[in-house]
Amino acid sequence: MNEQRRDILQMLTEGKITAEEADQLIGALDRDQPASPPADARPKGRPKYLRVVVDATEDDGPVRVNVRVPLQLLRAGVRLASLIPPQALGHANVGMQNAGVPFDLSQLKPEQLEELVEHLDDMTVEVDQRDAKVRVFCE
Amino acid sequence: MMPQLVTVRIHTGNGRKHRFWVPVLPIALVFSPLLILAAVVAAIACLIYHINPFRALGGMWRLFTALRGSRVDVEHGRSAVLVTIS
Repeated sequence: MNEQRRDILQMLTEGKITAEEADQLIGALDRDQPASPPADARPKGRPKYLRVVVDATEDDGPVRVNVRVPLQLLRAGVRLASLIPPQALGHANVGMQNAGVPFDLSQLKPEQLEELVEHLDDMTVEVDQRDAKVRVFCE
Repeated sequence: MMPQLVTVRIHTGNGRKHRFWVPVLPIALVFSPLLILAAVVAAIACLIYHINPFRALGGMWRLFTALRGSRVDVEHGRSAVLVTIS
């Protein structure tokens, strides 16, 4: 409750104004309030793309790879991945186990993956080597 | 919104440059019989593997529409391939 609204109610309890006047004053206050932004409004400047930039030097000249992937594409991929049948996940789990990666893919829920994509905004990966440089970031 | 145009630029090592513009909608219309056939085959495959075909097709469509804005540039010395989906 803001200060002005509290003052109006205080005046009402003290009998300085009638209930109708208090109602009118509160109505006027509500009209003066700026419209609140919708809850799902995206903050300005939120990244839309995942960028992968590779700069390397090879014997026959420099190599530059620049890939820009919309984050929306990652989200769509995550949703599509949620359709993978459990049998396929079981096969993948066995394959990963045999490769020395004991990871249960069936424990990975689509909501968690969506959350992961959401927080990619804050991620920056930089790998510097003598003859190659890799940067992964969002923009 | 679905992608409208795919731009492919190729720079060859001898300094020649080629640029192609591929309009997605006309190409999709030309290949629509094949696309419909592919969708039917995909739906049958989904049913065999107990996947909801409508959800799968919806997911594929979302994936396709999200391609807009993608860009892949690969430069090697004087050669380069640049692909932009807009």
